[in-house]
Amino acid sequence: MTHNVDERPALVAKGNGATRLIGTLITVAIAIIVVGGSAWLLHVNQPQPGAKVAQPAGTMKTPQGDLPHYSLDLSIYPSNNTDPACNGGTQSGEAIPGPVTGFDQIIAQSCPPFYWDSSTLQLPAHSAITVTVHQYDGSTQVNANYFANVHGTIDGKATYNGEAKTGINPADVAHTFTIHQYPQAGQPYFFVSVPMLAQPSTAKPAANSNYPAPIDVVFTFVTGDPGSYVWNCEDPCGNAYQGFGGVMMQRGWMAGTVEVV
Amino acid sequence: MSVMTRDIHEQAAVPQPTQHGKPGGFLRHTNIFTGVITGLVLAIITYAIGSKLVPWGTQNATFQQVGYQALIAATYVAWVIGFMAGIGAFAGPIRWVLGHDLTHADAEYMAGKGQGKFRYWKYTTDHKVVGIQYLIMTLVLFGLGGFLAMLIRTELGITWAEVFTPNFYNSMIGTHGIVMIIAMIIVISGPLGNFIMPLMIGARDMAFPRLNALSFWLLFAAVPPLVSNLLLGGIRDGWTVYEPLGSQSPVGMIGYQICIIVFAFSTGIASVNLITTAFTMRARGMSWNRVPIFVVGILSAAIMGLVWFPMFQYSQILALSDRMLATSFFNPLMGGSVWLYENLFWLLGHPEVYVVIIPGTAALIELMTVFLRKPLFSYKMAIAGFVGVTGISSIVWVHHMYMTGWAPSAGYPFMLSTELISIPFGFLVLVMLGTMWRGKPWTRLPMMAVYAVIWNKIIGGITGVYLSDVPVDQYMHGSMFVVAHFHFMLMGAGLFAAIGAIAYWFPKMTGRMLNERIASIGFWVAFFAFQLTFMSMFVAGLQGMPRRVLQFDNAFNVSNWLSTIGAYCIGIGMVIFLFAVITSWRNGKPAPANPWGAKTLEWQTSTPVPLENFPVLPVVTSDPYGYGVPDPYDSVEKKMAEADQPVGAGAR
Amino acid sequence: MSLTNAPEVDQPEEPTNRPAPSYRIREWLSRPYARHFLVLFIIFTVVIMPAAWLVLHFMNQSGAPASAIMTDIETTIFVFTFVSAPLMAVALAILMYSLLGRDWGGRVHGEEPPMQESPAIRTNSLGVILWITATSLLAGFLVIWGLVELASITAGSYGSVPTNQQPSAVKPIDINVTGAQWVWNFQYPDQQGLQSDTLVVPNNTPLYFNVTSVDVIHSFWVVELGIKIDANPGAVTNIGVTPNKLGTFNIRCAELCGMHHAYMQTKIQVVSQADFDNWVRVMGGAKTS
Repeated sequence: MTHNVDERPALVAKGNGATRLIGTLITVAIAIIVVGGSAWLLHVNQPQPGAKVAQPAGTMKTPQGDLPHYSLDLSIYPSNNTDPACNGGTQSGEAIPGPVTGFDQIIAQSCPPFYWDSSTLQLPAHSAITVTVHQYDGSTQVNANYFANVHGTIDGKATYNGEAKTGINPADVAHTFTIHQYPQAGQPYFFVSVPMLAQPSTAKPAANSNYPAPIDVVFTFVTGDPGSYVWNCEDPCGNAYQGFGGVMMQRGWMAGTVEVV
Repeated sequence: MSVMTRDIHEQAAVPQPTQHGKPGGFLRHTNIFTGVITGLVLAIITYAIGSKLVPWGTQNATFQQVGYQALIAATYVAWVIGFMAGIGAFAGPIRWVLGHDLTHADAEYMAGKGQGKFRYWKYTTDHKVVGIQYLIMTLVLFGLGGFLAMLIRTELGITWAEVFTPNFYNSMIGTHGIVMIIAMIIVISGPLGNFIMPLMIGARDMAFPRLNALSFWLLFAAVPPLVSNLLLGGIRDGWTVYEPLGSQSPVGMIGYQICIIVFAFSTGIASVNLITTAFTMRARGMSWNRVPIFVVGILSAAIMGLVWFPMFQYSQILALSDRMLATSFFNPLMGGSVWLYENLFWLLGHPEVYVVIIPGTAALIELMTVFLRKPLFSYKMAIAGFVGVTGISSIVWVHHMYMTGWAPSAGYPFMLSTELISIPFGFLVLVMLGTMWRGKPWTRLPMMAVYAVIWNKIIGGITGVYLSDVPVDQYMHGSMFVVAHFHFMLMGAGLFAAIGAIAYWFPKMTGRMLNERIASIGFWVAFFAFQLTFMSMFVAGLQGMPRRVLQFDNAFNVSNWLSTIGAYCIGIGMVIFLFAVITSWRNGKPAPANPWGAKTLEWQTSTPVPLENFPVLPVVTSDPYGYGVPDPYDSVEKKMAEADQPVGAGAR
Repeated sequence: MSLTNAPEVDQPEEPTNRPAPSYRIREWLSRPYARHFLVLFIIFTVVIMPAAWLVLHFMNQSGAPASAIMTDIETTIFVFTFVSAPLMAVALAILMYSLLGRDWGGRVHGEEPPMQESPAIRTNSLGVILWITATSLLAGFLVIWGLVELASITAGSYGSVPTNQQPSAVKPIDINVTGAQWVWNFQYPDQQGLQSDTLVVPNNTPLYFNVTSVDVIHSFWVVELGIKIDANPGAVTNIGVTPNKLGTFNIRCAELCGMHHAYMQTKIQVVSQADFDNWVRVMGGAKTS
């Protein structure tokens, strides 16, 4: 015996052409709202730190002539010192929480190093920029020795606690500051890479702080026409394969953007 | 009682199993909701207990946070096991262990008898129910993949800024890719292979009904781990998740790996089911030269999937092992090989594209005969085409690796084999064109899909010829040209064929006629928008745009704007088509048993299809292509044949 | 009537009024659809062929071809488009005729299945043989062209056999290419180990790249010179090329390598020999510490 498991009521197709048209348009509109709304929500929920603008500092004599001079002050901390699990004891000295937006919470649990206080940098065009980095972290060997040398600065050198050098020992690199290309045709080519000298393994925390006395790395480079660039650290201070996972792939921590305006 | 008078039925009486409890037993209480709840509960318990047991800070030699990775992996596995337990998948083995065999009433319950609409929410073995479940799942996966595609194109269209961070963008393209690939693998073999194929061969169900349900619910269990990757940092790698880049991704990658491992089981089980059904359950009289060509296509895809899917599964198992156990299968610094991963992946990766395209082609060839009212042109060439493609698909995979430097001299033999496979594929095109030749088309949506698909196949095919040449690939590999090529093949020839096939079998599966006006509008909007989107993408690739990039040179701006506009229109077209499907399904015109006047067996049973499919199993006496009238030009042929005879015998 | 059994009616030794073999072709051509199909086929073939020029136009927009390899690639694409055009045209002609033509009965649209009016053609040996022959010849041509071209490009790239692509007796400039996440860096071992993040090379001089990676898989793609080879960790892969055009061209990474994959780009400048020597001298100060 044929047994119809699901009886269907004998309905005539409901709705005339106009109903169908309205239904179609409403469905398309809903789809557009869902997609557009999701795109917007996802876009605003991936914040990168607010832009850090280089500060004016007079003019400077360069091989390209007299250029306006700006300065930028950054620090590299080995870990967040407000989390007891990361600072190994009580927090002393200035509170440096590290970037804590979104997915970064999971990264923060592994107490990684980070650039502070922002990874979104804004530099003026056609200027000489002097960057001072206060480096508090220890070393990991670079993957490519190329990044143990200084590239792209105004005299090919950087100063480490006052001493000018063209490069450092690959085993003593803590991090690098490497700005490189955004693929826009017509924007000037721009490449700067400076290795950061590591704290020696015997360094002790300074008084009233969780970190040792910083090593100050100072270097100057010249910007050209306006353009968009990215920067990242080229020293494997993250986790996973070759140390390039985790923070190395995270904007706000060890990577960011540079806007030359 | 003397021997003479003993009843034959008594002699042959087989002891029946005893009925334990109500028919269906434990399965009376399980459904998708109990499955999800059990899965979630088990996952949460595993996570809670595990996070107490495992120290978070544990790192291995490559600073991998082993503890956390293992915890997440255990949570995903707990979800899968919990879900399968909650849906009742373990009831069968447990009953077997306890010695409680299924009675006829149990089997009927499991096939959904007497449950009305609820049987779609349960572990139902009826192939028609599983087919519908696969159809819904496919639509959901396409919706998710399409949603991600819209976001991807938004990023690429807004060329003056980064809309999403590079990491999220890389995760989106990877997730879009794998979701679409999974959806395309199952789109025809799942709904139609399960629902239609047994009907088409005159069987009452598939060879392994309980495995049928298992393969669907394993797929269902595999999808949440995959989708959850976006919440756990993303896979940050393309759908191919090349190692060692994959090992740098956060824990979301484990979701991908678990999904593929489980999905491979699902596919293997489904393939075994399809193959066994096709080989052993054909109706009486359906010899191999009377089998509908659709069955041959499904069979080819199932064989390829069964043989090669384990390669993909192994690659993910080994990658998971690298991640959690610090093995170095793919870590070259510790003696591993990145090329090992690429080979394992592409050993599936290539046959997989044929798994996607062959069923669609077979479905279109099948329905062409109905809409042209012509027999299939050269059935033997069609078989040769499917067999040839299935065979040669195993020896072409290195053409995805021409540029890796793995084996430069391998370029020669694999270029040869890649060109060779175009010949059996050409047989299938010959069959389609030959069937179309001198046929009068009934231009309903399924037939119009054939025209669209052949056009897309032509474009995809010629661009494939370019890519198969190693020197040309030296320019094109890793550029948007490749992306456009495979979208033309997988989406243009695969998805549009699936739309045609679903439109064709819609009346039989749902009991309603599809609203063809709206469905056609959606289809054609999507088709022409598809041309705009991917032709512009070819241009971007030719201009030198690499793939998997979210920001690019200004030179590629115009192509990307055009592609994005096209993509939005594809989305609109697909939404319109979806609207047609849903509204027709809910209250379309009830369909007669055979609205197309087709001769294959599935149309010879009533709609809706009864539980046992056929009141009486059919006996087949000819192939299902007895359409058409004698060729009027045959009389001319006759005259010429007569004229060949010596003088005196003929009239000339 | 004689008794010699001479035939009354002429019995020819071979049938003379069997129609000539060309009758079959003429008969087929007399069918209207056959003529229309052939016309469509010729039109489509002619229409498709200019696509070859269009393809090359897009490829050359950024300055290509800048090497003999790239020129070879473009020639291949050109030829492949031309030889594939007839087969594509057959398919398109059938598609168009099926939808728009009249001689096959035209389209039917309606709710009910149409009456059976199409001829029940199950096979056509001549058609099948023609198709198999044509596709096999096409595939054969493509394969042989491809194999020969691959051999010649490989010889030119790896410098194993001097060919007309490589100026003889000129030692290639060795360049070590290292892909790191997410920067290309180059080292010229023969130029005092000079290190740079852009490539500067002299025109018409063979270059030989030793490509590797320090982390994940990258792909070294010099776009307008038409060469590409993956940069694999743990292995060194090689490719060579001789640039033959002055200018600045693009090097892009063609394998997803992580967050800044899209930004892993640099430039190659092909300059005169004098400019190259100048550059080497200026950069000569770069050294490892």
